[in-house]
Amino acid sequence: MRQAGAYSGLLCGGVSGRTGPHSLPLARIKKIMKKSGEDVKMISGEAPIIFSKACELFIEELTRRSWIMAIQGKRRTLHKDDLTSAVIATDIFDFLITLVSNSDSHALGPSTTTVMEVETIDYS
Amino acid sequence: MADAPASPGGGGSHESGDHSPRSNFREQDRFLPIANISRIMKKALPANGKIAKDAKETVQECVSEFISFITSEASDKCQREKRKTINGDDLLWAMTTLGFEEYVDPLKIYLASYREGDSKGSAKGGETSAKRDVYQNPNVQVENLAHQGSFSQGVNYTNSQNVRREADASFT
Repeated sequence: MRQAGAYSGLLCGGVSGRTGPHSLPLARIKKIMKKSGEDVKMISGEAPIIFSKACELFIEELTRRSWIMAIQGKRRTLHKDDLTSAVIATDIFDFLITLVSNSDSHALGPSTTTVMEVETIDYS
Repeated sequence: MADAPASPGGGGSHESGDHSPRSNFREQDRFLPIANISRIMKKALPANGKIAKDAKETVQECVSEFISFITSEASDKCQREKRKTINGDDLLWAMTTLGFEEYVDPLKIYLASYREGDSKGSAKGGETSAKRDVYQNPNVQVENLAHQGSFSQGVNYTNSQNVRREADASFT
C-alpha cells in the first residue's frame, strides 16, 4: 500500500483530517457566511465544505475569464482592469459590477453588521 | 495551515501592515486568506502568467461577495420555508438559481467524496469500495478523488438530502 508522501499534507492544505483536503479555511468561510445577513443564524456543517470547493471553482472561472482579457490586451500579467472587463462581460458575475467598478467599494459589511450567535449543526 | 501566517505568499501583500485600512472590519473576518486565493488563481493560469497585487485583492473581495450572494439567497429560501438552518441543498439550489448551475455537479461529487473520507463509515454503510479508493491514494488531491467517486455517491447524497428535507418539512 502506498504511503502518503511527506509533502502531501502541504499540497492538500494541511495534515489534520478535517482541514486536509480543503484549500480554503472553513472557519473563515463560516464567518463570511454569517455576515451575509442577520437572518443567517444556523449553518449546517456541510455548508462551509461546499463553499470551500465552490469558491475554488469561482476563483478559477473568474481568473480564466480575466486572463482572456489580459491576453487580448497583449499582456501576461493579470490586473484589476482585466477582472473588471471579465465581470462586465459575464452575466453571472453581474453581482460584482459595483464592487469591481468602484475602487472605493471596500465597505462590503455595513449593511450586514449584526452578527448573531450562530450555531453549527454537524451532520455525521 | 490555511490561515496561519497572515499572508506569506503572493509577492507582498496588503495584509502585511497592521489592521487593514480597507475597512472597519478586521481583515481576517471579511476575507479569505490572500495566499490561498493566489494559489488557486495560479492554478487557473498558464505557467508564464503573472498576477498583479491589485488583481489578487480584487478577487479576494469578489470571493467574499460571492459567498454572501449565495448565502443570502439560500437564507431567503430557508425563511420562506420556515427553516432555521442553511444546509448544503439550500446552497446548491441558490447557486442554480443565481446562474452557477455548472458548479452543482462537481460540488455534489466533492461533498460525497469528502464524506466518504471523513465519516469513517458512521454515516452510511455499504460504500466501502469508494472509501478504499480514498485510502489507497491518500496523497491524491481531492479533484482527482472527485473524479474517482462513483456516481452512486452523488445519488446517495441526494437521497440523504431528501430525507432531511422531509424531516424539515414535518416541522411546519
